[in-house]
Parts: sequence; structure tokens; C-alpha cells
Amino acid sequence: MTDELRWYLIAKKRTEGLIASAFRKLRDEGIEPILIKGWAAARNYPDVKPRFLGDIDLAVAADDFERATRLVEDPDSGIIGVDLHRELRRLDTVDWATLFANAELVTIDGEDVRVLAPEDHLRVMCVHWLTDGGESKERLWDIYYAVQNRPASFDWAKCLEVVEPNRRGWIKATIGLANRYLGLGIDDLPFAEEARCLPAWLTRCVEREWKSELPMRPMETVIDDAGSLMTEVRRRIPPNPIQATVNCEGIFDDRSRIPYQIRDLFMRARPSIKRVFQGMLIRMRR
Amino acid sequence: MNTSQRPIARKAGLVIQEVPDEVLVYDLETNKAHCLNQSAAIIWRSCDGNNTVSDIAKLVGAQAGGKVTEDFVWLAIDQLSENRLLEKEITVNFEGRSRREALKKIGLATMVAVPVIASLVAPQSALAASSCACVSPGDCLAQTTCPSTTNCNGAGVCAP
Repeated sequence: MTDELRWYLIAKKRTEGLIASAFRKLRDEGIEPILIKGWAAARNYPDVKPRFLGDIDLAVAADDFERATRLVEDPDSGIIGVDLHRELRRLDTVDWATLFANAELVTIDGEDVRVLAPEDHLRVMCVHWLTDGGESKERLWDIYYAVQNRPASFDWAKCLEVVEPNRRGWIKATIGLANRYLGLGIDDLPFAEEARCLPAWLTRCVEREWKSELPMRPMETVIDDAGSLMTEVRRRIPPNPIQATVNCEGIFDDRSRIPYQIRDLFMRARPSIKRVFQGMLIRMRR
Repeated sequence: MNTSQRPIARKAGLVIQEVPDEVLVYDLETNKAHCLNQSAAIIWRSCDGNNTVSDIAKLVGAQAGGKVTEDFVWLAIDQLSENRLLEKEITVNFEGRSRREALKKIGLATMVAVPVIASLVAPQSALAASSCACVSPGDCLAQTTCPSTTNCNGAGVCAP
């Protein structure tokens, strides 16, 4: 066993303790979360392949979000490392009640933890990976293992037919990328040929992203450093074509991405500028 | 050495992960990780405040399938204490010998693997991830070389 694997097993155990604790504390307040990404994605990995875990992504019903936020932000609550989501918002168009009804319970550290059904989670992970502009080749392994180690009962109709055709295309394309770049076997998938037909702009985009040494950082975290701020601005213009298409609910076809990129630029400019100014205000007050 | 001592294994503030033939322990207070081989793990688990060193030697012998001396147990206790894995620090004196010399003597006298507690070196992937940049506290969990593994401050850094 390598030290890397040992570290991973420790981090996983630590995360499991935090997940169980967060679920217990939220349940005490009558809030039922669903665990997404992170540990839920790592479940599909083989034991010998470390999948370093970041924050604990918990989605809660919109009605519970404010109460859950207060609890998560309370330093005395004992809830650590949780990134709270108001349902799944942009990550999925299936309604919360359906996702919740489909969800499964798994036991972690003696606590029953709710995770999305494999069909729903694969869809959500694909969209999440795309909303990050496909910048992480490492995270594409989440898709690889979710497909490769899907349960025998996995129903592609439950994964794909429940969303609009454009989104269906995104999922198939992400699986196609896992096939092309990670060697995921897709011959047995009902849409194998479609998944193999990837638009040129998509492959160009991911290859360019993967060459970049540093991941994109939130603008508000670099406002103290003019050089880094300019680097981050330059990285956003022109907008990443994957992000632009997904943000505009566009279709993954062979056509130019420019219309999506222009629209996306305008859509994102205002909130980005707002976040930067808010960050500057916080620093000025300190 | 006082053979009537009844060491107690520390449990608070530790993340304990059992894997085949090893026990991995992460100290949340010092942010250090240790790997206990099977002998060290058996001894650590036997440190319940009731067992004396002599009792522990018998327990280890029975579980590991070989005769084990009290010095063997003391060797483990010395390392457990040094790594803050016992409730109370215990100073072990190997009758004037260094730990290395004691280890050599004990190793030659037993068929059971000598107890070893190794510190884990942070993997390259974890170090690479330790830019200390964060958006939420969860980003700091794996960044064990940063000033804080639980707090993401207003500047987007894993620090108090």
C-alpha cells in the first residue's frame, strides 16, 4: 500500500465522520439533505484508486435552505466543511421531489445518508463537470467510474429521458469524452455511436483547459493581486465554450460557439463585477 | 521499567482507519498521520487502562502467534507515547540502551514482527493541492500543510 493511498483512506474516513455528523445535526432540525459529488462520486471508484475528497456537498429543499444555511454557518453547530446547495439548481432540471423520491440511503459511520440514485447522480456529475468548463481531467474519472461501475439495474432511460434533448446531449458528450480520453468502454451503451461523435470545439476546449497548469480561481479571491486579477479576467474572455453553451442551455453540435459565448459574457459580467466589488468592500471594512 | 503500569490508548481527536495488516491514525490536533503495523496496533488496542504491560505481552503473543517479551511491548509503548497516541506520556528506559539497540535485541529474540509506528509522508498530490486557496471550508480539509484544515478565511486562504 502506498502512502498516497493511506492518506486517501484517512481523508475518506475523516470525511465520512463529518458527513455522518452533518446529517445527524441537520436531521435534528428536521432537514433532510442529499449528499452529492465528492464522497458520493468516490463510491464508484475501486478501492485502490484514490479520489481526493474536497468539501461535503449537501443539497437541501429550497424551503429548508435558509435554516440549513444558518446551521452550517454557525461555528458552534459542529458542522464542518459543508458546501450547501439550494436543491440542484442549474445542475439538473428534474424537480427536487422526484430526485428525493429516487434517492437511496447508504450507511456511513452508523448514520443513514441519502445519496442520489445512480442515474440521477451521473447526470448531475456530468453537468457539474461541464459547468466547470471541463477544466479537470482528473474529475472526468468520476464519470468514468460512474458509468463503468454502474449497478446492473442502471436504467439509461431514467438517466436521459427525464431531461430535455439538449441536456441529454451534454451527458452523452461527457461520457464520450471519458471514452476518448480515459478509455471508458462504451460499446454496450445504447448511444455509443452518438457519444463518439464529439464536436471539434469540445475536444479543443478540454485539451486547452487541461494544458493550463492552474485551475480557474474565483475573481473575488484574487482582488488583492492586480496581476492575478488580470489573469483571471483574461481567462474568462472569451468565455469557455463549454460553460457558455451550458449556461445558455445550448446544444452540443458542430456549430460555432460564438453566439453562446457572447450571450454568456453578458450574463456573467454583472454578477462577476458584483462579487468583486463585494469582496473589495469586505476588505476595506477590515 | 514499571511493569504494573496500565497504559491507556488515546481516542479523542483521532481519525482511525483500519486496513488489512495496518491501522492508520490521523491526529487532528497535530495534523500528523501514523501507520501502525499489526503488532503496534494490537498493543495500542490492548492499552485499555486495565491491562498491564505483562498482560499486553500475553495478549499480543496469543494474537500474533508467538512468544512476546515485555520489552517488545515497551518498544511499542515508547513509540505510542512519542507520537501522542496514549492518554498519558510514558517514559520508557530500555536499561540504558537506545531504542535502536533495544529494537535489534527484541527483533532477534522474537518471530513476531516488531511493533513499528511510521509517520506518513504527505503525498505529492496532496502537496500539489495545498495551495491553501479555498472558497469554502471544505476546500481546506485535504490541505493539511496549510495553517488551518477547517477554516477558509475572508481572503480565500485556509487559515484562521
